[in-house]
Amino acid sequence: MNNTALKDLVYKMADDQLILGHRNSEWIGLGPILEEDIAFASMAQDKVGQSLAFYSLLNQLGEGEPDSIAFFRHAKQFHCCHFVELPIGDYSFSLMRHFLFDTAEAARFELLKASSYEPLKNLAIKFLGESRYHTMHADTWMNALGKGTDESIERMQNALDECMPYALGIYEESEFETQLISDRVFAGELALREIWIERINSLIAKTDLILPDLARCSPAFGGRIGDHTEYLQPLLDEMSEVVNIDPHADW
Amino acid sequence: MKESLDPRINRFNLLSLDDLQAKPTLDQLPTYEVFVQPNEDKTFQHEGIVHASDQRMAFVFAKEQFSRRSTCTGLWTVSTSDIYCTPTTENKQSVYEGIPEAEEKEGESYLIFHLLKRGKQHKCVGQVIAASHKQALQVAKHVLDITKPVLNAWVIKESDIFMSLEEDKVIWKTLPEKTFREAIDYRGSDKIEKFKQEQGKHHHE
Amino acid sequence: MYGGGNLFETIKAESVSHEDQGQLEKFEQRIDRGEKIEPGDWMPDLYRKQLIRMIEQHAHSEVIGALPEGTWITRAPGFKRKLALMAKVQDEVGHAQLLYSAAETLGKTREQMIDDLISGRSKYSNVFNYPAFTWADSCFISWLVDAGAIVNQVANSRGSYGPYCRALERICIEESFHLKFGHHCVIHMATGTAKQREMMQAAINRWWAPMMHFFGPSDKISAHSATLMRWKVKILSNDETRQQWLDMYVPKIWELELTIPDPKLRKDPDSGQWVYTEPDWEEFKRVINGDGPCNKERLAVRRTAEEHGRWVRKALQKPNSKYLTPLA
Repeated sequence: MNNTALKDLVYKMADDQLILGHRNSEWIGLGPILEEDIAFASMAQDKVGQSLAFYSLLNQLGEGEPDSIAFFRHAKQFHCCHFVELPIGDYSFSLMRHFLFDTAEAARFELLKASSYEPLKNLAIKFLGESRYHTMHADTWMNALGKGTDESIERMQNALDECMPYALGIYEESEFETQLISDRVFAGELALREIWIERINSLIAKTDLILPDLARCSPAFGGRIGDHTEYLQPLLDEMSEVVNIDPHADW
Repeated sequence: MKESLDPRINRFNLLSLDDLQAKPTLDQLPTYEVFVQPNEDKTFQHEGIVHASDQRMAFVFAKEQFSRRSTCTGLWTVSTSDIYCTPTTENKQSVYEGIPEAEEKEGESYLIFHLLKRGKQHKCVGQVIAASHKQALQVAKHVLDITKPVLNAWVIKESDIFMSLEEDKVIWKTLPEKTFREAIDYRGSDKIEKFKQEQGKHHHE
Repeated sequence: MYGGGNLFETIKAESVSHEDQGQLEKFEQRIDRGEKIEPGDWMPDLYRKQLIRMIEQHAHSEVIGALPEGTWITRAPGFKRKLALMAKVQDEVGHAQLLYSAAETLGKTREQMIDDLISGRSKYSNVFNYPAFTWADSCFISWLVDAGAIVNQVANSRGSYGPYCRALERICIEESFHLKFGHHCVIHMATGTAKQREMMQAAINRWWAPMMHFFGPSDKISAHSATLMRWKVKILSNDETRQQWLDMYVPKIWELELTIPDPKLRKDPDSGQWVYTEPDWEEFKRVINGDGPCNKERLAVRRTAEEHGRWVRKALQKPNSKYLTPLA
């Protein structure tokens, strides 16, 4: 078992979840409908909670404590994709990001059910339940807004067009890709992407939205190797503002 | 508007207070009644309402509004307009007094809910086959084992209810682990004791 | 969660003389027996009106209350605090939903209530018109403002209107987490580094006056109040709730060796009542009528959120759907 390859995989999963969970928590109290505010907040907690579980796994593999690796790394040390760093924008953007990312995450967990690395497999199985709800929620909203008014269809289409290059950035292959596949730790980003394309296609086909031509979208790569958007460092600075008052204090 | 202390608000593009528009009445969404089954051994109980566009959206909302704590094994949502209600009785009378009994014949499946006391909530007590809501109550009188006076009853056609499936139960699987939102995770008395002891030492020096 | 039990303005005294006296008598007897009034029951107009106003303003307080605490969600220190604060503020939105739903059973639509909030026609608990300057302010709110709300909520859960009581029971259960979490945070600040203690003390100094305003001015027993108490719409007087809160929490603040910026504050050993400097009720009036540090921002945020979400709600409307008053 190649520890470096494994940690690379778990870091990117944990970082994606933490940053997206953090972004989605920005909607708490500000959502379009009370019930939706509540639902979105729960899913944000799920994401942050999942990231904590993965950081704990990293800690067992020799990395630092979850609080210190999450709150004290510099942007260059993060492995999240650009997609999750982007500001929350209009609700159409956040919902579309939720649909595209969570569909991928559910598929990722499903693939990891077959992982040769037991702790990872167990976490994936555990979180599939939460994913079931996340995709249920996302699909329901896609159907509602993707077939709603002219305005909702237009906003969601714009969001889809804007999101797609970033969503494709989820599947940036790691330098350890072949290792992970041959060790049967993970089936790989390309395999994941194929499943994802089929699923989003099938859902979008039921709406009045049109899937952009993926061949003409330039995937937003770089995040997995520490090259991030201008948004990540300010996000991290904000996230760690209080702990940085005194990094050794017990809050 | 001056800068907010909340960085999220500074990114939120606040409107000026002059851009006031009254909420159009169109904004009002219909309501769906929510029933929760806390565990396999208990029946479904009414918990409250959500506003939603349809039953599926209502389910998605209800799951987080009414089952994000404790445990849950099943969730139902039904449009408020699909609930047939009896009047509420007085003086310990039952809604079943004064209505005829009827045999179970052909028809559709109806679920019966009883309220036994003011202040409590309706619980599902059984299922009957009948040709209408009204008849379903009559069949219930005949078929169900009703021992206490029923203050108020609801009858809902089963096909009007959006029900969670067996395979949906996993969505609640990790609930018990989320102790970060339970009082039990926040015991502070040890820290207070330790602090008091240390302060005690200082005061004696 | 927050407030509840206060009406924030006096409703024009209305009589019940136009009501069916036979029905009124049965209604009052039911309340005296300790039975709950449910949505389908006969009730006097004044009862319905008072309750709608009280529950609605309680709901508004929850929705607005989410904002000062929400200030610190993205900056909460560490996973535990981050997750907890997300859950706590979410609960507040959840409480608003429960309370609006309870008020809806009395015949006012939720959208009308929200419109009244964002237009400024309806009020909310004054304590949220103040800013949460630091993380320590967030800790103060989570512990001591919540504690105040709990005193009100526990009292009102013994009230006469079924849907409101049921909403309050649910709320009280979630509040126990809020209270313990808040106390946990304050304990860590007070027993932590010198900087943390300093921050916490500064927060207490800032929030003490708004907190003393929280329970409202001394209510003189008027015929109006007497009716509300007889109908179990108002359960405890403002002074009673304030005394309860002081009695439970001042000793807990002092045991952490934090000070309270009121030199007069003490418990009189003979009467068992807490003695304190009378709060500035002119300031209270000023702030609740719009002239507080955060009133404009709170309203602007709610309005913006509603505006931004308008297209979403519109897209969910179905042409044939009919809104009915909820059942329970």
